[in-house]
Amino acid sequence: MSFQFNATGDFSRLVSLPTPEIPAATSSVSPSFDTHGTTVIAVKYKDGVLNVADRRATAGMAIMYDRSEKILPLDDHTLVSISGSFAKAVEIARFLRHSFKYYSRSQLQPMSLEGKLSEMTKALVQNLPMALQGVGTFVPVLSAWDVQNDEGRIYAFDPMGARFESTDFSAAGSGSAPIRGSFDYITRTKGPFAEMDLQTALRECLVLLDIAADLDAATGGYAKILPSAKAVTREGILNLDEAQLQAVLDQMRDGLAPQTVNIKAERVEADVVSN
Amino acid sequence: MYSPYDFNQSIAHRAEYVEERLKAGMPVIGISFDNGVLLFTIKRTQRKVFEIYDQMMYSAIGNQADVEAVRLASIDFAHQEGFSRSPDDVSIQRLVGFAISPPLKRAFGDPMTTPNVLRALFAEIGATPEKDQFFVLNYDGEFSNHVKFAVAGGSDAVEDAMRESLAAHDDVPDLQTALSRAREAVRAGLRGRLSDEDEDSGEESGDALEKALEKGEIEAAILERNTPRESKFRLLTTSEVS
Repeated sequence: MSFQFNATGDFSRLVSLPTPEIPAATSSVSPSFDTHGTTVIAVKYKDGVLNVADRRATAGMAIMYDRSEKILPLDDHTLVSISGSFAKAVEIARFLRHSFKYYSRSQLQPMSLEGKLSEMTKALVQNLPMALQGVGTFVPVLSAWDVQNDEGRIYAFDPMGARFESTDFSAAGSGSAPIRGSFDYITRTKGPFAEMDLQTALRECLVLLDIAADLDAATGGYAKILPSAKAVTREGILNLDEAQLQAVLDQMRDGLAPQTVNIKAERVEADVVSN
Repeated sequence: MYSPYDFNQSIAHRAEYVEERLKAGMPVIGISFDNGVLLFTIKRTQRKVFEIYDQMMYSAIGNQADVEAVRLASIDFAHQEGFSRSPDDVSIQRLVGFAISPPLKRAFGDPMTTPNVLRALFAEIGATPEKDQFFVLNYDGEFSNHVKFAVAGGSDAVEDAMRESLAAHDDVPDLQTALSRAREAVRAGLRGRLSDEDEDSGEESGDALEKALEKGEIEAAILERNTPRESKFRLLTTSEVS
């Protein structure tokens, strides 16, 4: 054999993520060095799946960073919103982005949605030994445009890699628990998210995130830094920029949800908005 | 025992074996244009121009399996490097010079293997047309780098004819002009091939390119200079190349 190559398109055979051996904890660990991302929300609206997230990252009681980006495009039809260990989640997102690209370039066909979900599960399973030691646990919410069935899909995962498909919405992170019931309240009183247009869905999500920030110390509010919002649709990834979000939030200053929101979403290429 | 004479003989035989098989290959042309880099060729049924990495593409003539092996090995190296360091550390010079050329040379020199039948053209896009780079890689591991344009053909006669045709222009073309120059060069190259073979086909050689297009079709891809995407590669559509 003159050439060694990886015919399966499996990127994990090519590179391995650093997996440090962590000594078993004798007392309960307080991983104050493990920076965590907090609240992410995903809802299915009329044309796709909208993701909204605050931008705070915390380590223990300290706010480490107020401009973290937790909604990461993996490709033109896949978004992942991350909560939990920042170091791990960002590394895994980078791994997945490369692995999808690697697959489509080497195999000359895009990876199927099922394939992408398995990749995410594998990454979580690989992270399990660390998670069991009390560091590096992260919980992703994956939003995708299902090209085959032409519809938006939301998948939540647990730290062991179990996959839970959500019919309407999903949320993760420390601020997600206090607002859990509010999703149902909105659905019952205002109708399902799936019937809302982007503007309406965005307004509801921003209110939800605002409530999460009120009830959870680790979730960032809007006072200084705006949250981030992206959507995945048939046409690709939409990015809702700061100026647009600001306009919506200005109307929320009085604590009331605005009646109407005018927002223009621009399509962006998946690999442009991430870094 | 194996004597130096046998070694020379065996290398010569291997080279002859490969050259004979490359002869029929439809040439590949690379041209640097104002907004990108173009690779242009004629394919039969299989795709011939491939993306290697964000800013790199590749096309080759030769045995399908060998073309694929080099393509996959290149993609492996580029992605490994791009992930463990950064995409900025993936360069055509490292790829061809260190990852691909040495194993090719090893395989060619090993009398117990079948030599790879391939002549490849790698292209990398730079910030400006002067920074665009082409690497032509031969089956024996030998490679050369070029700016402005590069060719990979089945024989010296074909390559010389194409080079001559392309060297006639000194400016940086736009895509349309680059495409027509590529067509012109392929035409010249195929004419070179005809003159290489026996002249009996010279009679109806009217347009060598048109004749080639009866059995195949143009395949062309570009790396775009000004796209905001990380991935610069794009296959041109049939309407764009016709």
